[in-house]
Amino acid sequence: MTLLQVRGVTRRFGGLTAVDDVSFDVFEGTVKALIGPNGAGKSTLFNALTGFDKPDEGSVLFDGEELVGQRPRDTVRAGVARTFQNTQLFEDMTAGENVMVGCQARQRRSFTTAMLRLPGAIAEDREAREEASRLLRLIGVEEWIDVPAADLPAGIRRLVEIARALATRPRLLLLDEPAAGLNATETRELVQTLFRVRDSGVTVVIVEHDMGLVMEVSDEIVVLDRGRKIAEGPPRMIQKDPAVIAAYLGGDEEDDV
Amino acid sequence: MNAKTLRALAPLVAVAVALLVPLVVSDRFILKVFTFAGINALVVVGLALLFGYAGQVSLGHAAFMGLGAYTSAFCTVELEWPWLLGFVAAGAVAAFGGLILAIPALRLKGYYLAMATLGFGLLMSLAFTEARPITGGVDGFTGIPFPSLGPLEIRSAASLYWLVWGAVGIAVLVAHNITSLRPGRAMRALHGSELGAQACGVDIVGVKVRTFVVSALMAGLAGALYAGVVGFVSPSVFTLTASITFIAMTIVGGTSSLAGPILAAVALTLVQYVDALIPGLPRETAQTIQSYQEDIYGLAIVLVVIFAPRGLAGLWKRRNAGGETP
Amino acid sequence: MSEFLQFLVAGLKNGSIYALIALGFTIVYTATGAINFAQGEFFMLGGMICVSFTELGLPLPVAAVAAIAATAAIGAAFELLAVRPIAGDNPLRIIMVTIGGAVVLRQLALHIFGPDERALAPFTEGASLKALGVAVELQTLWIWGLTALAVVLLAFVYRKTTFGRAMRATAIRRDAARLVGVNAGMMVTVAFALAAGLGALAGVAVAPLTQTAFGVGAIIGVKGFAAAILGGIGNPITAVAGGLMLGLLESFAAGYFDPVYKDGVALVVLLLVLFVAPQGLLVRAGRVKV
Repeated sequence: MTLLQVRGVTRRFGGLTAVDDVSFDVFEGTVKALIGPNGAGKSTLFNALTGFDKPDEGSVLFDGEELVGQRPRDTVRAGVARTFQNTQLFEDMTAGENVMVGCQARQRRSFTTAMLRLPGAIAEDREAREEASRLLRLIGVEEWIDVPAADLPAGIRRLVEIARALATRPRLLLLDEPAAGLNATETRELVQTLFRVRDSGVTVVIVEHDMGLVMEVSDEIVVLDRGRKIAEGPPRMIQKDPAVIAAYLGGDEEDDV
Repeated sequence: MNAKTLRALAPLVAVAVALLVPLVVSDRFILKVFTFAGINALVVVGLALLFGYAGQVSLGHAAFMGLGAYTSAFCTVELEWPWLLGFVAAGAVAAFGGLILAIPALRLKGYYLAMATLGFGLLMSLAFTEARPITGGVDGFTGIPFPSLGPLEIRSAASLYWLVWGAVGIAVLVAHNITSLRPGRAMRALHGSELGAQACGVDIVGVKVRTFVVSALMAGLAGALYAGVVGFVSPSVFTLTASITFIAMTIVGGTSSLAGPILAAVALTLVQYVDALIPGLPRETAQTIQSYQEDIYGLAIVLVVIFAPRGLAGLWKRRNAGGETP
Repeated sequence: MSEFLQFLVAGLKNGSIYALIALGFTIVYTATGAINFAQGEFFMLGGMICVSFTELGLPLPVAAVAAIAATAAIGAAFELLAVRPIAGDNPLRIIMVTIGGAVVLRQLALHIFGPDERALAPFTEGASLKALGVAVELQTLWIWGLTALAVVLLAFVYRKTTFGRAMRATAIRRDAARLVGVNAGMMVTVAFALAAGLGALAGVAVAPLTQTAFGVGAIIGVKGFAAAILGGIGNPITAVAGGLMLGLLESFAAGYFDPVYKDGVALVVLLLVLFVAPQGLLVRAGRVKV
């Protein structure tokens, strides 16, 4: 079934149209990649999809629910989670504690319950701890659970952020350039992680530059250039698409948004 | 009981030790000094939550203390309410003040929030000085009765000490519960990365509001206790300098820690009264130390921020690597 | 009518002082994105150092210039010692270090100059000018003249000199500025020195009218910041406009209502602007980063 329906999303900054009438669908249980040359509008689109920015036009339907106009907290509650290009970990907290914060999205016990240290709050805490442990194990980085985020190596940081996003129990996970700055080994681990995530039932949309990773991991690819969608389809097809090749290799050398 | 739990219990143990002091010390003046240390510690526990954990700058925190002090004074002297009722009213008024200040905190970040709190503090200072009919103006409010719990009046140095440190104990207990459970993680997340916290579904608005309210409440109750202990309040107590002193105590004590700021609060209060505590100290030395007090605060802030940004607690944690903080 | 004009004059006089402080905030803000909470202390130091120099026997004009230069140097030292070591853009740390630094500067002034208020002689002795039923003190004319001079000089430096262009470049994109050879670090130090100099100029100019003491820094800093954001920070023109506006608001409130409201006006303006329109009243929303 179609989990995410992006229709006519447009975002302008002053005179510049960063995202221009972009539409595509994402089917449940698949991995969809968003690629394009620098300045194609990928991150802007991302922000628009997750409530961190509001598109000027268009709609984003997630399982029938309109996401445009919602705040990030609401989109998380709806089941859409994201990571950031510049990992936004909580530096002074351990990897485990970072993931535990992700569990907050579903937790219901009140502030007062915590203040008074009522059994409900303690139980909830224990559950969060166990969940964090489980997710870090799933991602393969459980050994780092008690290490402060500031001390984590770059590749591990990415993975911890993914684990934290998974803690919100999303149905759709949006990853913003997870392979940026990773070496070959770390990228391999990331690929394995993405497969594990998809196999656990989470739909994935990934913005990425690393073509190898994209080809290996995606079921379908959307190509953006200068804010517009220029191609969409399975990896084999995209590889041969002349418009895509032109966008990456030829044309003007402008540096846009 | 493992090392983690021991560290988490540190502030509670510290308070328990503090409660034993009057059994050993009988000098009324020394007890009074330690009582003031307790009052400052109570303010600082709240400020540690707001600033140390949640990363929200409050440069006017003394204003909340003043709100509590004046409310308690007004209720007990003018309205002749029982002390306990005035105590509760003090907390309520201060908490309301915290709620008001939380509103700009939702929109403003960093420098602008800091300035807003600074402006708020100065405005309250002005209000305390100018609202003569309510606050007694520059001359202050005199004749504030001793605290009393029902028919029981609390007048002796030891009992006042226990009242104050008992309050500190309860505050520490509550703060410890908050910080070791989900709300504490939410605060630290907010401090660490507001974007990241949003992406985790943290209720940013709720965290900010609750933290401002709880910290203002604690400062307000401390103010009410101050009024009862001293019997007299004036605007010169709740100044910008006082706010900066509390901030200094929190920063030196360290981020994401309760024990650190409490220790810093006690230590820096003791410095203020050094001549009372060390009877053999020559007059000039004592006076020199006291006149350089604020230099110490200012320098301490600068040095800690540059060289040890996580304060004493941070240094302590680095020596015993990893794990959750007391 | 003459009452109105009197308040107008007083408002424009104080407003000029606030404009200079606001300019100080703006210069540091545009160079670093930071608000320097010690800005008010430079105002205090300007006045205090000038008084001390005159007491040491220096003629007033020399003392004034020397005091401004000395304070500018202190501003530069402040940046190098306190702000520079805090690498990166962590607002919380910069706020705290400038607050702590402000306390240190204030205490230094207390220890060196003592707790008493000090007065400076007016730059020109003589009776106030009378025109249109209003008395204008000669010192007020000095304040207006010096403020206008400072603003014109600043505009000239920023627009017409290579140095000024370098500063603007640093303000817009620090990394890009570095690429074209601008020493971004030095630009920041200079920005602090300039801001301190402007603050000191204000302090020296107004010292003959209101006595100066070691503790005046905090409130004047807050007022100057209120003026800066009233117009909209990031723009020297709006900073000056904000200063004059604040001065007038204060003056009319104190004149027509109660002098006790004077300080309160600035604080209320500060909080209102922050609550309602943090980008400033004269700046169209969205164009200035908050």
